[in-house]
Amino acid sequence: MNCRSFSTQSKPKPKVSFLNLQGSGMSAIERLCLEEALLSHDPLKRSWAIVGTHEPRYNSYLPNPEFNTSNESCLIIMGVGAGGKPDSLLDIEKVKRDGVLAVKRFSGGGAIVVDDSTLWTTFIGRNDDFPHVDPHSESIMAWSANDVFHKVFANMKADALHHNIISSEKKNMVMDTTKSCQAALDNETSGKHPTEDNSTLQTTEMPDFALRENDYVIGERKVGDNAQLIVDGAWLHHTTFLWDYEEENMSYLTLPSKRPEYRGERDHDDFLVKLRSTYALGDDNSSKRAFFYHVKCAAFEAFELEEVLLKDAMKVVDDLGGMKAWFEGGCRTKILDL
Amino acid sequence: AELKYTKDHEWVRVEGDTAIIGITEFAQSELGDIVFVEIETEGETLDAEEVFGSIEAVKTVSDLFMPISGEVTEFNENLEANPEVVNSDPYGDGWMVKIAVSDASQLDGLLSAEAYADLIK
Repeated sequence: MNCRSFSTQSKPKPKVSFLNLQGSGMSAIERLCLEEALLSHDPLKRSWAIVGTHEPRYNSYLPNPEFNTSNESCLIIMGVGAGGKPDSLLDIEKVKRDGVLAVKRFSGGGAIVVDDSTLWTTFIGRNDDFPHVDPHSESIMAWSANDVFHKVFANMKADALHHNIISSEKKNMVMDTTKSCQAALDNETSGKHPTEDNSTLQTTEMPDFALRENDYVIGERKVGDNAQLIVDGAWLHHTTFLWDYEEENMSYLTLPSKRPEYRGERDHDDFLVKLRSTYALGDDNSSKRAFFYHVKCAAFEAFELEEVLLKDAMKVVDDLGGMKAWFEGGCRTKILDL
Repeated sequence: AELKYTKDHEWVRVEGDTAIIGITEFAQSELGDIVFVEIETEGETLDAEEVFGSIEAVKTVSDLFMPISGEVTEFNENLEANPEVVNSDPYGDGWMVKIAVSDASQLDGLLSAEAYADLIK
């Protein structure tokens, strides 16, 4: 692959299996089930990097429950502790009224709302592969921010700035051409040139990515939610980045009583930021593909990467009796009865 | 009674045939503010190093491991409403489970206070 290289590393890189779930048709629930299976039941004890976007509501492997729902565009996912107290984080009445599905995941954290534009990234690290990362939340998040996401978002920003420059140049070319045609039509001749466009190129001020009080932010706004699970000999760190979202869907979440200091009293609309409005490249599909491409490049630089197909990763789930048996059995991801 | 320790930062105090288990001061400080303790293994007999529950802090769930084999006979229900007690009093009111010990000889394989202190240096 053709990735920009930022550094040369002489120390051995962790061996990591790369799984791209874009276009797989796998639902968000199924992704969570697969992640937990790969963390806790991979007989090869591999470390993993997993990317993709997921259908919030309809399953490919699991049966689809009958729900009377008016809002199928999103899924609510709650952390282990939060899932035990949904009324502290959700507008339960509104969620029930709209029949929105809510699930409890296996990792920590509060409540998030995901849809089909949400960008998922997951890293599963075996302690033996990652001796440089202490299996504690602070260490894991610092590693992911420094070794992966800073590079990803630096590239996203560079792409977006470049896109803005190209767009401006094209716009200027069109304007010049239009003026030339106009001048010709008006029979303006010698000595006169079409008025030059003196407008200076406006480079948009794009705030930077950072890790702030355990949140991933762009500037002062949260751009993704992350959570971890630590088991014997390994850890899992997964993040859902907000590409775009419906404000109406975010209204299912209430203002949490425990929140990071930098949030203050801001409601979701003022606290969150859409990547689409910050680092877009003109069309959504290109931009999302660019994001995952940059994640893969960062992974390529940080790890000794081996690409794995979904059907091979799913063998781990098959060995557990299949997705349905796993989901109904030992898998910690469960549908919440609100 | 003298405490024994595990490499996973749990402590064990034996009182007759019962062992009381919690996590150490070091563990609670590493975890951060504990927001949830989940133990659903009451009544189950588990082997040493099997997961008996989980604990959540800073968006991170960590598994809790049996230091020795036994039946989980009691869970500290106070932790459901007050998980922060594990931070404030990890060796006292922050105890997590009591177990009926299956094999007392397994205690010999646990760490002494000195050995645990060396581990966390």
